[in-house]
Amino acid sequence: MHIMLLSVSHRTAGVALREQLALSEERLTSAINRLRERYPHAEAVVLCTCNRTELYLARPPLESPTLDELQDDLAVCCGVAPETLANVVAKLENQDAVAHLFRVATGLESMVLGEPHVLGQVKRAYEAADKLGGVGAVFHRVFQQAISVAKQVRNTTGIDKGRVSVGSVAVDFARRIFDHFDDKTVVGIGAGELAKPMLQYLKRLQPAKLWLVNRSVDRAGKLVSALQLDPANGGARPFDDLQTLLVEADIVLTSTGAERPIITAADFKPLLRKRRGRPLFVVDIAVPRDVEPAVGDLNNVYLYNIDDLQRVVETTHDRRGEQVQACEAQLAETVAACISQVQQQDIGQLIRSLRRQLHSLGQAEMQRTARKLAACQDSQQLERLLEEHTQRLINKVLHLPLSQLDHSQQDATLGFYAAALRSLFGLEEDDQHESDDVVADNSDDTDHTQPQADEPTRPTIKKSTPPQRRRAIG
Amino acid sequence: MRDPSTTISLIVLTALSLGACVLALIRLMKPASANTRRYVYSLLGSCTLGCIGLFAYRAVVVHRGWQPLQSHADGLLLIASLFAVAVLFLQSRGGLDGLVTFALPLLTLILAWAVCASAWTFHLFQIDSVWQSVHLAGVYLGTLLFSIAAIAGGMYLFARYRLRHRVSPDPSERLASLETIERLIVAASAVGFSLLTVGLAASLVIVASGPTRLGTGWWYSPKVITAIAVWLIYALVMNARYTTKFRGARAAWLSIIALVLLMATFGIAHMLPSTSDTDTAATPPADTLNAKEAH
Repeated sequence: MHIMLLSVSHRTAGVALREQLALSEERLTSAINRLRERYPHAEAVVLCTCNRTELYLARPPLESPTLDELQDDLAVCCGVAPETLANVVAKLENQDAVAHLFRVATGLESMVLGEPHVLGQVKRAYEAADKLGGVGAVFHRVFQQAISVAKQVRNTTGIDKGRVSVGSVAVDFARRIFDHFDDKTVVGIGAGELAKPMLQYLKRLQPAKLWLVNRSVDRAGKLVSALQLDPANGGARPFDDLQTLLVEADIVLTSTGAERPIITAADFKPLLRKRRGRPLFVVDIAVPRDVEPAVGDLNNVYLYNIDDLQRVVETTHDRRGEQVQACEAQLAETVAACISQVQQQDIGQLIRSLRRQLHSLGQAEMQRTARKLAACQDSQQLERLLEEHTQRLINKVLHLPLSQLDHSQQDATLGFYAAALRSLFGLEEDDQHESDDVVADNSDDTDHTQPQADEPTRPTIKKSTPPQRRRAIG
Repeated sequence: MRDPSTTISLIVLTALSLGACVLALIRLMKPASANTRRYVYSLLGSCTLGCIGLFAYRAVVVHRGWQPLQSHADGLLLIASLFAVAVLFLQSRGGLDGLVTFALPLLTLILAWAVCASAWTFHLFQIDSVWQSVHLAGVYLGTLLFSIAAIAGGMYLFARYRLRHRVSPDPSERLASLETIERLIVAASAVGFSLLTVGLAASLVIVASGPTRLGTGWWYSPKVITAIAVWLIYALVMNARYTTKFRGARAAWLSIIALVLLMATFGIAHMLPSTSDTDTAATPPADTLNAKEAH
C-alpha cells in the first residue's frame, strides 16, 4: 500500500486558516465517507486538533488518488480554495508519512514539546475513522504502533514531564508549600488580563476562599463573574481591605499596574504576628513588581516573581529539548520496523490474491480441457489437447501483465514494467528481443517465455534488489 | 550477653542500610531510573526484616526471657526496627515522598551505633523493678518518635531551601509539602514527648525509691540537665503550631537539635561511672536516667 499524508499545522498555517480547516465531528464523518466513496480500496484517517489538520490515506499502488488529487479533496472537505491550501500543506509519503505520525503522537511536532493531549487526539481520530470503516489492515498496524510507541517513548524519556505554563508552575510551587487547599484563602490583587489565567489555575485548587482586591471594585466584580466564582467562596473586595486580607491569605497573586510596590517589608512585618507564622505564598506577576523583594526574606514567606516562574518554564523546555534526540532515536527504529511490517503484510496479501487468481484461471481451463478429453479418441489427439491446454493457460496468465507493456504508455512506466518483468522472471538482456516479440503479438500461442531445449544456458533466476522491490510494491 | 553473631548481623544490616542510603541520595541529587527506587526499597525492606529478625532472635535465643530490652544494643536494635517499619509505613501512605532519603542516614547511624554497643561497649542493664522497664520503654520509644521528627525536620529544611532558591523540581522527584512535613514533625514530637514524659516520671520514682549511681546531687548532673533540656525543647516543638515564633524552619531546627541533645544524654549516661568493679565491665543502664545500682 502507498501511504500518503497531507498536513496543515501551526508550522505552516496561521490560526485563521487553521480555524477554517478545523473539522467538526459531522464534517469529519462526511470527509471520511467522501474519501471512502471516491477511493473504495483506500484507508483514510483525519486528525484534527487545534494546531493541525492532517489527512492520512493508504491506497494500493498505482491507483488514485495522487497527492494533488487528495489535496483537492481536502480543500473540498474543509471548504477552502485549493490554491489557499496548496501554499500551506505539507505532503509526505510512505516512510516519511509514518515517521510524521509517530512524531505527532509523541508530541515532537506539538507547539509545546511533548504536549500530552495530542496522543489522545491521535487515538480518537483513529477510533473515529475505524468506526466509519476508514481503517484497514495498514492503518490498524500503523496507528496502533504509533500510539503504543508514543506511550513508550514518553515513559522512557520524560519528554512530557515538567510544567510548561507560568500558571501551572505557580500551582506546582503552591503544592510544594501546602498539602490541601480546602482551608486556604487565595487573594488576587489587581484585575487585569494577566490575572485571569493565573486565577483560573488557582481556582482549580478549590480553595476555601478566593478574594479579588482592586482599586476599581466594578472591574474586580467583572473578573469574579468571568471566573464564575461562587459568592459563598469569595468575590470582589475594595482595596482598603488589603491589610485584613493579607492576614487571612495563604496565597497572594498580585498583578496590578502600580508603579511602586504595594506590599513592602515594613508594611508586612507587623502582619506576621497576626498571621501566627502561617506560611504565605506570594506570586507577583506584575512588572514593575508589586511586592518588595525584601518581603521574600521574611520568615515563612515564599515570594516568586514572573521571572522565577518563567525560569522554571524554560528549564522544562530545555529539559524536554534534551530528550528530543533520545525520542528521535527510538522513533527511527520503530518507524523502519513498522514500514517493513506493512510491506510484508502487503506482499503477503499480493501473493494470496495472485495465487487465487491463477488458481481460478487454471480451474476454468481444466474444466474446459476435461470436457474435450471425454471425446478424445487416440493418443495423438490427446497430445494436441494437452499442448493446447498448456498454451491457453500460459496465454491467459500472461495476457494482463503483457498487455501493460503497451508502447503508448509513458517511457518511465514502460521501463518500470520491463525492469520488473526482467527481475521477476529472471530474464537477461539477451531475452529482451524475444520479450518484445511477445509484446508485439501477445495473443500468439507460442510460448516465448519458455527457454528452448537447445539454448546453451538456462536463464538464471536472480533475486530482485530491495529498491526494485519497494518500487514494485509502491 | 555479648553475642558475636549479633555483631556480624548488625554489620551486615548497617551495610544494607548504607547501600540504600547512598542510592537514595543519588536519586535525590539527580534524576535516576525507576530501578534505583526499587533497589532502595529492596535494601530498606531487607534491612527492616533483618532488624526485626535479629531483635526476635536476641529476645528468644539469647535472652530467653520476657524482657527483650537487656542491653543498649537491644535498645538501639528496637529503635532501628521500629524506625524502619515506621518509615516504610509512612512512605507507603503517600504524600511523604522523599522521607526515605532523609531517614536512611539516621537508620545507618543507629545501626552503626548498635554495632559499637554490641561489640565494644556492650553491657547489660540491671533491671530490678518494673519502673526501670517503664523508663527504658519510654525513653527508647520516645527516641524513635524523636528520630522521625528529626528526619522530618531535615526534610523540611531541604524542601524549604529548594523553595527559597526557586529550584525547579525534577518531575521524577517530589518532596512532600512543607505543611505535611510540619504536621509530621509536630505529631511525632507530641507522641515522643508523651513517651519521654512517662520515661522521666518513671525515673523520678526510681530516684525516690533509693540511691542511684547519679549520687545525691542527681538533679544537677549533666544527664538530668540535658534530659530536661530535651524535654523542654520538645514541649516547644509540639506546640509549634500555636506559637508565632517557632513555626516552620525553627521547629525543624529544634527537632534536630533536640535529637542531638538526646543522643548526648545517652552518651553522658554511658560515661557515668559505675559504683562497683563488676559493673565496670558491664556498665549499668547506659541510657536510663536513674538506673538503679544493684549494689
